[in-house]
Amino acid sequence: MPTIDVDYMDFERMLGIELHRDVERLNEILAYVKGEVKLFDEKEGVISIEIKDTNRPDLWNIEGLTRTLRGFLGVEEGVKAYTVNKPIVEVHVDPKLKDIRPFIGCSIVKNVKLTDTIIRGLMHLQDKLDKTYGRNRQRTSIGLYDFSLITPPLYYGVAKPTEVSFVPLGFEEKMNLKEILEHHPKGIEYGYIVKKHSVYPILQDSKRKVLSFPPIINSNDLGRVTEETQHVLVEVTGPMHETVLNTLKIVTLSLIDRGGKAYSATIHYPHENMKVVTPNLDMWLMDLDIEYVNKVLGLQLTAKQIAQLLAKARFGVEKLESHKVSVQIPCYRIDVMHPIDLVEDIAIAYGYNRIKPLWRKLPTTGGANPKQGLLNIARELMIGLGFQEVLTYTMTNPENLFTKMNCKKTRIVEVANPKVQTFTCLRNWLLPSLMEFLSNNLHVEYPQKIFELGMVTLLDEKRETKTRDEERLAAVISHANSSFSEIKSALDAFLTNFGFEWQTRETKHPSFINGRVGAIIVNGKNIGVLGEIHPKVLEAWKLENPIAAFEINMKTIIQRKT
Amino acid sequence: MVKLREQEHKVLLSLKKFDGRASIEQIIAESGLSDAAVMRAALALQERKLLKIHEEKQIIVKLNEEGKFHAKNGLPERRLINALEELGKKAPIEKVVEKASLEKHFTPIALGWIQKKHWAILDTKTNALQMLEKPKEEDDERLLKLLSLKGQETIGNLSPELQKAVQILKRRKLLETEEKAKRIIALEEVGWKTIKKGVKVAAEVTQLTPELIISGKWRKIKLQKYNIEAPVAKTWPGKKHPYLQFLDEVEEKLVTLGFKEMTGPTVETSFFNFDALYTPQDHPAREIFGVYFVKSPKYGHINASRHVLENVKETHENGWKTGSRGWRYRYSLKESGRLILRGHGTCLSARTLLSKDLEIPGRYFSIVRCYRPEVVDKTHLTEFNQVEGIIVDKDLTLRDLLGVLEKFAIEIAGADEVKFRPDYFPFTEPSVELSAYKKGYGWIEFGGSGIFRPEVTLPLGIEVPVIAWGLGIDRLFMMKAGIDDIRQIFTYDLDWIRRKQVV
Repeated sequence: MPTIDVDYMDFERMLGIELHRDVERLNEILAYVKGEVKLFDEKEGVISIEIKDTNRPDLWNIEGLTRTLRGFLGVEEGVKAYTVNKPIVEVHVDPKLKDIRPFIGCSIVKNVKLTDTIIRGLMHLQDKLDKTYGRNRQRTSIGLYDFSLITPPLYYGVAKPTEVSFVPLGFEEKMNLKEILEHHPKGIEYGYIVKKHSVYPILQDSKRKVLSFPPIINSNDLGRVTEETQHVLVEVTGPMHETVLNTLKIVTLSLIDRGGKAYSATIHYPHENMKVVTPNLDMWLMDLDIEYVNKVLGLQLTAKQIAQLLAKARFGVEKLESHKVSVQIPCYRIDVMHPIDLVEDIAIAYGYNRIKPLWRKLPTTGGANPKQGLLNIARELMIGLGFQEVLTYTMTNPENLFTKMNCKKTRIVEVANPKVQTFTCLRNWLLPSLMEFLSNNLHVEYPQKIFELGMVTLLDEKRETKTRDEERLAAVISHANSSFSEIKSALDAFLTNFGFEWQTRETKHPSFINGRVGAIIVNGKNIGVLGEIHPKVLEAWKLENPIAAFEINMKTIIQRKT
Repeated sequence: MVKLREQEHKVLLSLKKFDGRASIEQIIAESGLSDAAVMRAALALQERKLLKIHEEKQIIVKLNEEGKFHAKNGLPERRLINALEELGKKAPIEKVVEKASLEKHFTPIALGWIQKKHWAILDTKTNALQMLEKPKEEDDERLLKLLSLKGQETIGNLSPELQKAVQILKRRKLLETEEKAKRIIALEEVGWKTIKKGVKVAAEVTQLTPELIISGKWRKIKLQKYNIEAPVAKTWPGKKHPYLQFLDEVEEKLVTLGFKEMTGPTVETSFFNFDALYTPQDHPAREIFGVYFVKSPKYGHINASRHVLENVKETHENGWKTGSRGWRYRYSLKESGRLILRGHGTCLSARTLLSKDLEIPGRYFSIVRCYRPEVVDKTHLTEFNQVEGIIVDKDLTLRDLLGVLEKFAIEIAGADEVKFRPDYFPFTEPSVELSAYKKGYGWIEFGGSGIFRPEVTLPLGIEVPVIAWGLGIDRLFMMKAGIDDIRQIFTYDLDWIRRKQVV
C-alpha cells in the first residue's frame, strides 16, 4: 500500500474546498478513494495519506487525488477530457533492446509553472510509481528532463558498459555505465535489472548528449527539473508496452493539471515496422448493464441515477439506454478491467452507509471440522489433568529444533527469505516450543505443567504441497521432583479416556535420559514419545528443574474416533 | 466448673506439674503440643486471667575455645600442682613445667594462680616451688566440667557458688555469656483456684477424621474455629489459553450462524494463495517482502484440473470469458506452483470453491495461522491467526455482504454501531472495510471483505456470487483483553496466563 505525502495547502487549493485542517472530515473524504490519513504534520503542513488501492497509481499524487475527489464532492463532476497535441519529437528505438528493455514512451509538457511544492510532488509520484507500480523499476522507470536543453530526435539504444560516459544526477564527474553501476547509489540499488546483459540501455539526443541510463539514473545536465524549467520532457521505459504507456499517462496528466500543454512523441520501432504516438490520452468505452449493477448492489437504481453516480466517480456517459449505459472511461483509470469495477464506484458514490444491510436466512448447517471437536476434547482433558494451555509460534529455527534438543538436524521446511534469524523454518515437532516457553519462566512458581495442541509441518514429497501438517499434542511437567511416572500417569489418563489401550516400549531418544524414555504404542502403532528430558537439553535451555514430557501425533486418535 | 478447650487444659495441667511456673519449652515437652498450640492456649488463658506470660531475660554461659581446652586438660595450675606432687612436693620451676608438659604461654598464668590459690609458694632465691597442701577440686573447675558436659547453662540455674565461679572464669576469659529473652508462664491465683475446683474439658478437634465420622464421635466433639480470614497458598488451575479461548468462542458463534469449517495446508502453492485469487504474478504482495517462500522444495504439484489452470491463466492474461480485460501479461504455470507459507486465509476459500463437496447455498469459515515476513514488534507478528470465510449462493448482493458484516460486529464484537468504508483487495469488488463501535472502546477496524471478482469465481467454475470476509480478530482480542502489544497473543509469560481471568 503506497503512502503519499501531500502539501496540505496545495491539496486544499487543488480540491477547491476548505477543510479547516479537520482530520476527521479529511478521513471521511478520503474514504472515497480508499485512503486514510496516517499522519498530519501540522508544523510542516504535510499530510501522509495511505492509499489502499495498489492498482490506482493515478491517485498517488495531489493532482490525481483531487481530480477524483472533486467528483465525489460535487465540485467538478463527469469525465475529464484530456487532449494532447501532435508529435513534436521523434524517438528511434534500437532493435538490440528487444530482450533488455524494449519499450519507451515520451511526452512533452510545455509552459508548466513549476513551484518547489509541485516539483517535490512530482519526485514523490515518480518514486511511488517506480517502487510500486514499476516494481522497483523493473516494470517501469521514469525520467524527467528540461526539454529546452535537448535537441531531438532522441535515440533509445544500447551501449557497452565502458563505451559511454556522462555525469549522473547528483554527481559532478563523468562516469561510464560500469562505474555508475558500481559506485552510484542508484546503480547499486537497481543495477540488478541490467547487469545480466552485455550492453545497457541508453537514451541520447541527436547531439549524442546522454539523457539517461534507464532504468538507473538521469544525466545531471539534462535530467534535472527546477523552478526555472518551463518545458518538461517525460520519458518512461520498460519491458511491457502497456505499463510503460500507463505510467507515462499518469505523469503527463499531473503536469497538464498544473497548467501545462502536452505534446506527443512518435516512437519508431524499425524492427517491428511499428510507429507509436505517445501518450494516448483518449477515453475509452465500456457497456454497463443496468440490471447487472442492481443485481450486484441489491438496489433498484434507474439508468439516470446510475449515470449521475458515475459522473460523481468521474466517468462519462456516452449513451444512456433503459437497460444499459455506455460509459466513458478516462485514460488514467487503468484499474478498470471489468464492469464490476464501475459497479463498485457507483456503490461508493451512492454511499456504502446508505445501503441497508441484509441478513438472509440460508438453509446451511454450521459445523466445525469434525476433527476440531476431538481436538477440543483433547484440550479439555489436558486442562482437567491440571495442565495450562499455551500458544507458541510455529515458526522457529534449527538451533531450537535440533541443537538445543541434542538432536541431529533433519530436513525441514525452511523459508528462503527469513526476516530474522529466530524465525527461519516451520517446526517439525512441538516439544522445543514448550522448552522455549519454560526457559522464559525460570522464576515463576512451580510446579509448571503446560501443554500445547498445535501444528507441525513435515516434508512429504508425495503431497500436493510436498509437505504435510500434523496436529500434535505435547505436555511437560517441571518441578524439583518431576518424574517419568508422573507424566506417564497423565498420559495414561489421557489415552484411557479416549478409549485406547496403550503400551510403552523402551526406546532411545537423544532429547531424553537413556532408560527413562519410551515409545508410545497404540494399536501396535508408534504415536509418540514420553520420558524425562536429558540434562544436556535442560542445560542448553538454561533450565534448572527436571522435566518430564510427552509428545503424541493426534492422527491416530482423530482417525479412530471419526 | 470452668469450661476449657482441650489444649488449654493440657497447658494448665503441665504448669501445675512445674509448680505453676514454667518456660514455653518446658510446657511443650510436658504437654506434647506444638509451639503454636501452646502459645495459642496460653494467650487464651491469659485473657481469662488464669495465668500470665512473662518475658525473662536470661544469661546463658558457655565455654570459649580456651575454656574447652582447659576443661579437657585441666586448668594450668592444676596440671602444675599435679606435676609438683609427683616430683616430691618441691622442685625447680623448669622441672615442674617440663613434667607438666605445660605450654609456654600458660606458664606465667599457672604460676600466678597456683600461688593465688595458696596451693604452693615460690622460693624466689632458689626459683623452686614448694607445695603447701594437696588441693581439692574447686568451684571454677566444677563449673568448667559442667559447661563442658552440657555445652551451655543459664546462670539462673547455677548454685550461688558456681555463679561466683562464672565471674572468675569470665575474668580469665575462658567463657562467653549471652543474653536471651525467655517466655515464662506463671499461674495466677485464679488459675490455681480453677485447677483446684476442677476443669471441664470441651472436646474440641482440629481435623474432622473418617474415624470421627464413622464412629459417630463427631457428635461429642467440637470442631475448632479457624481464622477464616487467614491467607492460603495460591492454586494455578489448568486453563485454556486466553486467546485460544477467545477463538473458541468465535468459532462457536460462527457455527451457530450456519458456517462450516474449511481446512487447508500451511505450506501452500502460489496458485491457491494468489493466482486463483486473481493476484497477478508480479504483484508486490508476491515479492520477498510480502510472503515467505519455501527454500526447498521450491515447487509443488497443483491439485487442480488442467482446464481450471488454463482458465486461470487465460483470465490473468486476457480475461478469458469473464468479461474482463485481464491483467495483460504472460502468466507462468511454473510460477503458480511456487511453494510459500500461507499468507492469508483466503486460499482456503479458493480451495473450497474448487472442492467437489462445495454446497450451494453454503457458508464456510476457517481460523488459520498465516505468515508474513515482518519483524516482530508491538504491532506486527510474523505469524498470526486469521478468521475468514465465504458465503456462496445465487442472488447474493452487496446488501448481503453488509448484512453479514453487521451480524459479525454485533455477535462477535458486541458492537453498538457499525460503519462501512470502501476497501481494496485484488480479488474482491466491491470491497468493504468494517468498523465497529463499542461503548468504552471506541471505533476499531474489524474486518475486510468483498464480493469475489468474476475473474476469481468463473475460472473455478462458480457461476453464483461469493461473498468473502476476514475479521480483524487480533485487534478485537487485544481490545477485549486490554492489551496494546500484539506479541502478548503469543506470550511466553506463564504468570500472565495464570493470572488472566477467564471471563
